[in-house]
Amino acid sequence: MLRELWHHRLRTALALAGVAVATAMLLDMLMLSGGLETSFRRLLSGRGYAIRLAPVGTIPLESEALIPSYPSLRDTLLGIPGVVAVAPLLGANVELRAGADTIRAFALGVDPAEQGVYRILEGEAPADGRVVVDERLARDAALEIGTPVELALAGTLGVERRLEARVGGVAGFVYSAREERVVALPLGVLQRLTGRGDRIAFAMVRVAESADPEAVGAAIRARVPRVEAVTVAGLVEHARARLSYFRQLSLVLGTVATVVTALLVGTIMAVSINDRYGTIAAMRAIGISRGTLVASFTGESLVLSALGAVLGVGLGVLTAGYLEGVLAGFPGLPRAIRFFVLDTTAVTRALAIVLTVGALAGLVPAWRVANLEISRTLHREEP
Amino acid sequence: MGTARERAAAVPVVEVRDVEREYRMGRDVVRALAGVSLRVDAGEFLAVTGPSGSGKSTLLHLLGGIDVPTAGTVLFGGTDLAALSTGERDRRRLLEVGLVFQRFHLLPMLTARENVELPMAEAGVPARERREAAERLLARVGLADRARHRPGELSGGERQRVAIARALANGPRLVLADEPTGELDRRTSEGILDLFAGLNDEGVTIVVATHDLHLADRARRRIELVDGRVAP
Repeated sequence: MLRELWHHRLRTALALAGVAVATAMLLDMLMLSGGLETSFRRLLSGRGYAIRLAPVGTIPLESEALIPSYPSLRDTLLGIPGVVAVAPLLGANVELRAGADTIRAFALGVDPAEQGVYRILEGEAPADGRVVVDERLARDAALEIGTPVELALAGTLGVERRLEARVGGVAGFVYSAREERVVALPLGVLQRLTGRGDRIAFAMVRVAESADPEAVGAAIRARVPRVEAVTVAGLVEHARARLSYFRQLSLVLGTVATVVTALLVGTIMAVSINDRYGTIAAMRAIGISRGTLVASFTGESLVLSALGAVLGVGLGVLTAGYLEGVLAGFPGLPRAIRFFVLDTTAVTRALAIVLTVGALAGLVPAWRVANLEISRTLHREEP
Repeated sequence: MGTARERAAAVPVVEVRDVEREYRMGRDVVRALAGVSLRVDAGEFLAVTGPSGSGKSTLLHLLGGIDVPTAGTVLFGGTDLAALSTGERDRRRLLEVGLVFQRFHLLPMLTARENVELPMAEAGVPARERREAAERLLARVGLADRARHRPGELSGGERQRVAIARALANGPRLVLADEPTGELDRRTSEGILDLFAGLNDEGVTIVVATHDLHLADRARRRIELVDGRVAP
């Protein structure tokens, strides 16, 4: 079987290349179909906050509406069984001046003691007179720890309220987009700078490990009707509905890749078998059973599919990496979001589909040839 | 009454009774055999001659259970082949019939020894045993030193010898050869004929279909087919 593939090296190489490309496409489509959802789920659950709060009637991060009276909301929430902590958030577009340079950035007001939006890479957490910036802002504005900066709402620097502070730390911001420059400061400081009193835009709720997030979310909605409490699962479901076109695209292209694999392996096997019709008839004549021949040819197509599939997985990972780089340029996407997520499920599915399709595609011509009319074929093949 | 051995010897290796074979070729029906009866006893060396299209190969295929007749009966060792399933006929051919073709039909990727081993592997003979048997058979056909060569590295006569060794692999009761010298020159053909004669002397029953009257003369019995019938 392997000798037959080796004997027709060029044909085998072309077939392997074809199966590899089809497998790569299939794997990429499988990675794409669940990638955004998987990475979105990882993004939301990565910091341990199971519930998001937004003004009632809105979806977190999709409205500019604000939640009033945060201190009393916080007290109420902490009184609900299962709620362990609350991380408030307020956002605003700001201008930041460092030396002679002024640069636009997005400011996040946080509770430094309870937050899930950044990880300090260097320096200290925000405090009065101290802000934390992301790496891009630090690079673009040439900021270092200790650099003095001035902050004001966008378009008002020099004419409105402004904040004087120093850079206290550099952090990686989980939810910010690649093109965004972010600065974090204490919630109260940003509330004063923006004139938004005690309001917040958004809050994340940490739930006890023993508690059911859905039950806690229901309890929050019951106790605080002015907020929308959405669990990670709910947000993922919402995202899933919004991303259905990605899945449809993946389904169509994945199906095309599967059909191409079937046609390719089937054609190669049919050509290979047709070349050997006379010998196959002779093998049947000397008593080689149909089962032996079907097993041999199916094995040949399986080996072809398996080798092509293994090459295809490597190729798929490479192309996914390239496409990820292209798609990462989409504006507004959080840095942690991935279109293509490589996991064992996607690889296993791609391999299983290609191997199954390859085996079936080999089985059909193998079964046909195993049932040939021996005598008539020998009459035809012998002079 | 006679002993069981004598009774077994009295049963022909293969017998055909009034067999007909028709093939459908598009809208036409071609009659390849039109009522042939023939008995082949153990130890015979029979040549079936006749012009092209006279039904020689078809008769060989029926004798070996490769094909089934449109009418009539084929009894192999007393068993009606029509009563057997495809799988049972396959098994019978594997174990009891050796086949030699004009174009050898060796697997080009396998060595001479592996080609000879093939029917034994199918029969479930253990690897070591069949390797030794294949080497013995190749020695028997004069190719002991060519066992590791692939068919592409052998001459036509050597390939046919490998095919004959393959035909003998499972110790068949009957060897059927269809134009075994058709692709060989006169000198090489002589070697093959000597080989068949030697095998027959050892007790192997042989039926050869051939145009080659020289080959037919080497057989102990000869029948001629004309238009699908045995010529009187």
